[in-house]
Amino acid sequence: MRVAVADDGALFRDGLVMLLDAAGHEVVGCAADGDALVELLATEPADVAVLDIRMPPEPDGGLVTAERLRADHPGLGLLFLSHYAEAHYLIRVLHIGTDSIGYRLKEKVGSVEVLSDTLTRIRDGEIVIEPVLAQRLVEQPSSSRRDALVALSERETEVLRLMSEGRSNAGIASVLFVAAKSVEKHIASIFTKLGLPSDTAEHHRRVLAVLTFLRSQEGSG
Amino acid sequence: MTLDTYDATRSARRSADEQWSQRRDIERQLHDGPALRIAALTLRLGLLAQKARSDAGDLPRDIAELQDQLHLIQQELRAVADRIYPPLLQEAGLGAALRELAGSASMRVDADGGRFDTAVEGVAYFAVLGVLAALPPTTRTVDVVIRRDAEGLALDLGNVDTCQIDAVRDRVQWVGGVAAVFGGLIGTIKVRIPCE
Repeated sequence: MRVAVADDGALFRDGLVMLLDAAGHEVVGCAADGDALVELLATEPADVAVLDIRMPPEPDGGLVTAERLRADHPGLGLLFLSHYAEAHYLIRVLHIGTDSIGYRLKEKVGSVEVLSDTLTRIRDGEIVIEPVLAQRLVEQPSSSRRDALVALSERETEVLRLMSEGRSNAGIASVLFVAAKSVEKHIASIFTKLGLPSDTAEHHRRVLAVLTFLRSQEGSG
Repeated sequence: MTLDTYDATRSARRSADEQWSQRRDIERQLHDGPALRIAALTLRLGLLAQKARSDAGDLPRDIAELQDQLHLIQQELRAVADRIYPPLLQEAGLGAALRELAGSASMRVDADGGRFDTAVEGVAYFAVLGVLAALPPTTRTVDVVIRRDAEGLALDLGNVDTCQIDAVRDRVQWVGGVAAVFGGLIGTIKVRIPCE
């Protein structure tokens, strides 16, 4: 896979390039800020761009750069990395796009397997959300959503957590060792219990609907 | 207000500005220093694991365990950074930083996204945190309204224990702010902090 990297921390950037090399990916170039990444990708095609959220242009150059990249290269996958997993940034990431996009903690992509799995899922059009953050959102939703979540069974809560990580039905089924059909049933039941419209069954819209629900306050959608 | 008290107010505000800017800079130092090194270290361990993949012994498992430990250290560092000056407060402001807490506290935040000085946002954030900490867990939902008016920051904390007024006043006076109670024991604390 062809990967471009932008991070203003040289130490992390260099380590990431070494790990990408070891995983057999081609690093098409590195940049220390968003503007340099845009320039790089104008001439070097890539499958996925890896962006630090908190880099120049300050304060959150990764996000503003990604908006430009999405407009210039709609097929380019975007992986945001950060020291901190914040729901605030997750929602901003999902407003940039809900396909071929990911948000993960820097210290959680430190193995060839995890890094390659994350990049492959993003290249293939999926959303990848840091499991630590997905779990926190499901365990600690906004206060006005807590009552709705109490109505979910243990298995449904588990499915909701995996959905919040951006996993597809097939992905959820393989993690839980169940048939895809039974995942579909759980999801339909979750949507009914949470009062979400069933026409958001399409995968990407569904992830956005679920995460927005967990974060939002009653009456504000 | 006489010239003397005016100067004293200005001087107190300057000293508050300086102290809160320092706190913000310390958080940035944690982010750019130790947090960066820890993240880079997990990548180096990942490389080591790749080299050791043919090892039939415990080495790959030990390396993964060390990476998990580094993740915990990073989380602890994050908790420390939050107590100094939350990164989100600096980057996205009072409304966003308080909304991020909405998962662990019962709170509704209504903010229009306006920004204030570093000291004002810091003082207001920790004043709200103090009021939330004084409530028994999940008893009621606190309503936070943040607005910018002609004078500066207008912060209303609704449905709170109004006995907290003294603690709030102590905090906001530091930046020339005032606080008042409306309602009974459970009521609203209104805070106003002047900003340029």
